[in-house]
Amino acid sequence: MSDPQQDLNRDLKQLIIDALGLEDIGVDDIDDQQPLFGDGLGLDSVDALELGLAIQKRYGIKIDADAKDTRNHFSSVAALAAFVTARNAA
Amino acid sequence: MPTLSGRCYESFLGKAVLQGGIKSTVITFDISQWRAWAPGLVTPADWQAWAQGSRHSCSEAASPDVSFLPAMQRRRLSNLARMAFAVGWPLAEGYEALPLVFASRHGETPRTFAILSDLADQQPLSPTQFSLSVHNAIIGLWSILRGETSEMTAIAAAGDGLEQGLLEAAALLAEGAPAVLLILCEELPPAVYDAWVDDVPFAYALGLLVTPGQQWQLSPGPAATQSLPPALPHALSWLQATLRGVNCFTHTWKRRSWTWQRQP
Repeated sequence: MSDPQQDLNRDLKQLIIDALGLEDIGVDDIDDQQPLFGDGLGLDSVDALELGLAIQKRYGIKIDADAKDTRNHFSSVAALAAFVTARNAA
Repeated sequence: MPTLSGRCYESFLGKAVLQGGIKSTVITFDISQWRAWAPGLVTPADWQAWAQGSRHSCSEAASPDVSFLPAMQRRRLSNLARMAFAVGWPLAEGYEALPLVFASRHGETPRTFAILSDLADQQPLSPTQFSLSVHNAIIGLWSILRGETSEMTAIAAAGDGLEQGLLEAAALLAEGAPAVLLILCEELPPAVYDAWVDDVPFAYALGLLVTPGQQWQLSPGPAATQSLPPALPHALSWLQATLRGVNCFTHTWKRRSWTWQRQP
């Protein structure tokens, strides 16, 4: 039986890989809690914009790039999943 | 063309000659090393066979190997950027600071076409595509990935980008650079441009390590008559002539004619 939370995490990882053209990386290489930016996965500010666009397209969520808490929502796959779940429930 | 100041003309390009009654200049330089890449044309032996007229298969890998870069750095490199890096990287080996002249007539046409298609479909634009579609994006990536802060220039100079790029390189040599890297590359544009773009027989890149010297002499002048478009892009024509051992040849682009001479 599949866990919807795990499915969402997995979807988000695949979205990150596809949208950002990560070569030689699979969904299993990204940890749910791993920081996406800086020292973690190593994404940068252009990636943040690209990922925001991909999430907007995939989940129909509008993301305010200037909002204070946007940075937190993008900190890890787990944080992104929580954000997507909360916004879809709203 | 930026940065080609009058001072450079005076100090280095100075040898004025009369050609058809019009005052012209001669530049001299060495081409210490070259590298070239096209689908199916990878090794010097491949290019030698091509220069002697043998047919090559364009069906081989459409993108060169840039595995010398980590995956996280490769991911933003388009095919055009990969070609530029594949020919330029080995030439830059051992140079701590190496100015770069990048010349491409058509640039990142696949990226710009993708952006235009999104615009036409009223889709939001990809920030990555947008930021990497500009003509100097590749030299920006080169600078970041190599930690290179020397002067770099990106030019789009119609059909004689090779010669315009060498003029730029000669000016940098005149300012004291011990060597200049010149990269010429063209990507096969999306098929939608077929009716307008007829000077890219196949995707190709040529890298030249240009150093001070007298090996080559290049002089611009007016073309005698309105000439036909060249059979090969100048970069490929230069390579073919060089590999065939031709010491004197002319490249004509519309009203401009460039005379190449190599010291035998």
